[in-house]
Amino acid sequence: MQGRLSAWLVKRRLVHRSLGFDYQGIETLQIKPEDWHSIAVILYVYGYNYLRSQCAYDVAPGGLLASVYHLTRIQYGVDQPEEVCIKVFAPRRNPRTPSVFWIWKSADFQERESYDMLGISYDNHPRLKRILMPESWIGWPLRKDYIAPNFYEIQDAH
Amino acid sequence: MASTSFSILGWVGGKRGLGGRKMNSISAQQTDVQQQSQVNIQQQEEEKEKVTVKQPQKQPPQTQPRQPMAKSKNMSVEYGGQWFSSVTRHVRIYAAYIDPVTHAFDQTQMDKLTLLLDPTNEFVWTSETCNKVYAYFQELVDHYEGAPLAEYTLRLIGSDIEHYIRKLLYDGEIKYNMNARTLNFSMGKPRVIFNNNDREVQDVQKD
Repeated sequence: MQGRLSAWLVKRRLVHRSLGFDYQGIETLQIKPEDWHSIAVILYVYGYNYLRSQCAYDVAPGGLLASVYHLTRIQYGVDQPEEVCIKVFAPRRNPRTPSVFWIWKSADFQERESYDMLGISYDNHPRLKRILMPESWIGWPLRKDYIAPNFYEIQDAH
Repeated sequence: MASTSFSILGWVGGKRGLGGRKMNSISAQQTDVQQQSQVNIQQQEEEKEKVTVKQPQKQPPQTQPRQPMAKSKNMSVEYGGQWFSSVTRHVRIYAAYIDPVTHAFDQTQMDKLTLLLDPTNEFVWTSETCNKVYAYFQELVDHYEGAPLAEYTLRLIGSDIEHYIRKLLYDGEIKYNMNARTLNFSMGKPRVIFNNNDREVQDVQKD
């Protein structure tokens, strides 16, 4: 099972792996972190001019960290724009992924949040720092091995 | 590098302004301030946490002279939000010198930690229970020495003190101040006996 974009990428000898289609029939591709920047540029040139969503998740305990990009090709007079979902998996030891900020500027806060919650370090991001947690926070709260510190909160009040 | 003695300033229930509200304050600080002021901030932070204690652990905290000439410093807009603090209901820790009388907030003395204990006066404190909390504070500061001076570290210390206060409350060593301005029992509603493991219930028939 190969989608249109996957076939297009294969024709241009770009390394990727197809992960099938999601429930809406949107093609899902896995791309290695080292290829992601160049392929992102190619996808932008191809016409994906809109980053609809960027998110990240922890795949499994002790496993990889995934950074997910939903891209859309916006054009005039099209009701069903082309969409694609890209997943970039980074190892937990040294999670580095190229940033797409300079291609799709809307990745700015999204990637900062992914960094804040999961500790994925986005290369070439202009101001990669914590956005939700205090800057002195230690640890990555949405990782599966995160242990919350025993802070006294007002919620402790009965 | 600097002097390594670590002393504590604590005072209890002084009669001061603010409607006669009790404010307990403690300041863990190094004695050699002159030498501190010559090194830069980064070194100060490291130094503060690397302080080693010569005095034995269980000794009550020794009093340190207050600084009557202290003035509020580094409180202007350009320093706004820059101070390190951990603020919960019963424990406020600031990395600054706070004068107990004038409430001058001197943020240039980052090598000191000041603890304001129960500013809203929710509990009834005696000097003995206060000193217990101060000693525990001292113990925690020793425990976290070498850690970076950051909000996170102060938060850890402050939370541990809050848990310790809760333990004191459950052990019956302190109790709620029924004349407090807000009486909402933030650490649990009062019970007759909190930790009653070692006591026998009276009305149970024992054979």
